Amino acid sequence: MARVFVRLKLRLLRNGLRGNWQQTIGLVAGIVVAAPLAVAGFALLAVVPRSSPRLGPGLAVAVFVVVFLAWAVLPVLSFSSDATLDPARLALLPLRPRQLVTGLFAASCIGIAPALTLAVLLGAVAGYAPLGPGAVVVVAAVLVELVLCVAVARALTTALSRWLRTRKVRDLAVVVVALGGLTLNLGVQAVVHLTQPTSAGDLADTLRVVARVVGWLPPGLAARALVGAGQGHLATATGELLLAVLAALLLLWWWYRSLARVLTSAEPAARTRRRAAVGLIPRLVRPLLPADARGAVAAKELRYMARHPRLRVLWVMNGLLTIGLVVFAALVTGARRPELVLAALAILYVISTNALNQFGPDGGAWWTNLVAGHDPRADLIGKNLATGIVSMALLAVAAVPLAALTGGWRYLPVVLFVGVGVLAASLGVANFVSVRYPIPMPEVTTNLWAAQGIGQGCTTGLVQTAAFMVQGTLLVPIAVLVGVGVFVWWPALLIVCPVAVAYGLGLWWAGVRAGGDWLRDHQPELLAALRPTRAA
Amino acid sequence: MDHDGPWRAAAPPGPPDTALSVRGLRKAFGSKLAVAGIDLDIPHGCFFGLVGPNGAGKTTTLSMVTGLLRPDAGRIAVAGVEVWRDPFTAKQRIGVLPEDLRLFERLTGDELLTYNGLLRGMAPDTVAERTRELLDVLGLTEAAGTLVADYSHGMRKKTALACALLHAPRVLFLDEPFEAIDPVSARTIRALLERYTRGGATVVFSSHVMELVERLCDRVGIMHEGRLIAEGPIDRVRDGRSLEDAFVQLVGAGEVDTEELGWLGSSSA
Repeated sequence: MARVFVRLKLRLLRNGLRGNWQQTIGLVAGIVVAAPLAVAGFALLAVVPRSSPRLGPGLAVAVFVVVFLAWAVLPVLSFSSDATLDPARLALLPLRPRQLVTGLFAASCIGIAPALTLAVLLGAVAGYAPLGPGAVVVVAAVLVELVLCVAVARALTTALSRWLRTRKVRDLAVVVVALGGLTLNLGVQAVVHLTQPTSAGDLADTLRVVARVVGWLPPGLAARALVGAGQGHLATATGELLLAVLAALLLLWWWYRSLARVLTSAEPAARTRRRAAVGLIPRLVRPLLPADARGAVAAKELRYMARHPRLRVLWVMNGLLTIGLVVFAALVTGARRPELVLAALAILYVISTNALNQFGPDGGAWWTNLVAGHDPRADLIGKNLATGIVSMALLAVAAVPLAALTGGWRYLPVVLFVGVGVLAASLGVANFVSVRYPIPMPEVTTNLWAAQGIGQGCTTGLVQTAAFMVQGTLLVPIAVLVGVGVFVWWPALLIVCPVAVAYGLGLWWAGVRAGGDWLRDHQPELLAALRPTRAA
Repeated sequence: MDHDGPWRAAAPPGPPDTALSVRGLRKAFGSKLAVAGIDLDIPHGCFFGLVGPNGAGKTTTLSMVTGLLRPDAGRIAVAGVEVWRDPFTAKQRIGVLPEDLRLFERLTGDELLTYNGLLRGMAPDTVAERTRELLDVLGLTEAAGTLVADYSHGMRKKTALACALLHAPRVLFLDEPFEAIDPVSARTIRALLERYTRGGATVVFSSHVMELVERLCDRVGIMHEGRLIAEGPIDRVRDGRSLEDAFVQLVGAGEVDTEELGWLGSSSA
């Protein structure tokens, strides 16, 4: 049965690539990025344990745990769980649970990420395997780690999709996920901060501490089994390996249970709130929005930020990042430098990346705008208005406490004016990219984290990275002026306010025009690009 | 359905007083020709039914006529305005209900209608008033504050129809408006559409349900393999038969031979 699934997946991938340049480019780009990583990871695990044996044990545990956590967390945080094989399609086939899970699991092992992981882990075989029976345990530990990784990714996204089926729970979980992301981010920073060793000896000590802390996790157990087998402690190693295998089986079982629930239970009916309609435009922003097509689009965007699960995650994250930024900046500098207020601008740069796919969340429903026959620029302006309102509010939330903490009130107007410029310039680029390189969002019911096919994640990353770099480059003049104002000649700050606003609005209008004019002649093409083409 | 010579570049195709004029409409997806050259004139105030087997090209045709899908060749004019030369004016005169019914799920019914109205540049007061009336007529007032995501299929279709009617378009294009609809909702929709055509507006809709087309429409077009194989007043197309018989004969489907499926119905599992 597993063979049937694997062949099905390969066939689906091949059909997905046929005539789809985006997926093809994405696949190639993915390989280009993954190949050096694979070589580097392999080399790290293959060379270090042989050349500096003191580092060996800690290194194995650290790498195994990091790889495992990456598999667990990255699909959830980046919404890129591989959904080439949508289990919902298989629900009606008379498959036994074991057949379904083994089949789907085998199919999940095909792709760039599993190949990259395997390549890195095989380095451990070269680096740790002894001659003799211990080698078997080492190879087994590597395979168990791979199983753990794939299983945790599938189990976690499926389970979350299962829990997030009522809107109420979704509200809660989304915040939890976002908080998790922030915690992870801070955790990584803390680890980086702690592991700035001055010598190899320090590094070995740090690694040993880390290994002791996380060694009891399933991937840690697999790594310890690997190290133990390499050092000849076969009995302990086998025991640790068996525990890791047990953990992998538990993960697979959890995955199956979640899958069965998602497939066989209907989404609980939402309790219909018998409330009076309140109008499209939220009361709070009614004075800010024109009562025309632009205002309608902006109001819809604002409603969607609060109601669409994916957008809500993004904006909750943005909110938390804003708070995190303030706290972090205050902690690191002791809140003594008034220029710190300017750091609030960083939040806008993060937000502007979210605007690179402004039409994706609309999906096939965008035909509504197409048939309305309004000026397509109104679509872009409306979306920008919504982003602008929320972003400027977040900017104020970050800047005002920083000003209060540091006494840098005089920087507050600078931040707000420059903020308008930065945001407007970024949105100008985002408008063009959103129209020309729209990314459809899949409609997979069993997995909220699904991404489309194998190539799309990579294409997404490629286009967005390029756009991000363009945004950054365009902001350099503003940054230079601000820098001059802070460090060299303070009147530059007075100049930068109007200049940044004019410069940003100029770029924004150029983006609205370029995007809107292209859209005027290509509305059906955009609609076609937004319709999710299901890989399966 | 006759070509009358080369087109003058400025004038829209077809006779001047038609609700819809189509000339030489073609669309291919890869090597498959979905619409293989259609000519059609529909007069104002008409209830026009477009029928045909699955894959005949009905949805493709309606998508191109409403500006949702770019044709490979051909010209389309709705109420005297060319759809692909002046889409923005043409769309003011068109109301659309597409087949796949993808809506902005996370707006409420009321919000979705308001959104449509404001997008079309209507005055907010007019939008509010018409929204209230349409929701009332379609029996959606109670659900006005509920997200479209929580609507049943029938409610979604009625909401989408309300969106299509909000700006009182001259021509209404409906793709399978009665599919998967309960009889009560179907009756509501039918009554609304009949009321609407009595005012001089035109309704063009596609359907599989011959009996419904027969009852509602005064003109009918039968599509098969991307071509319009019959078109005209319904009595002329029927020619004394039921519409279904006429359809089956025109499309050329023979009797179904089920002899070979002897194993069907003898299951031992």
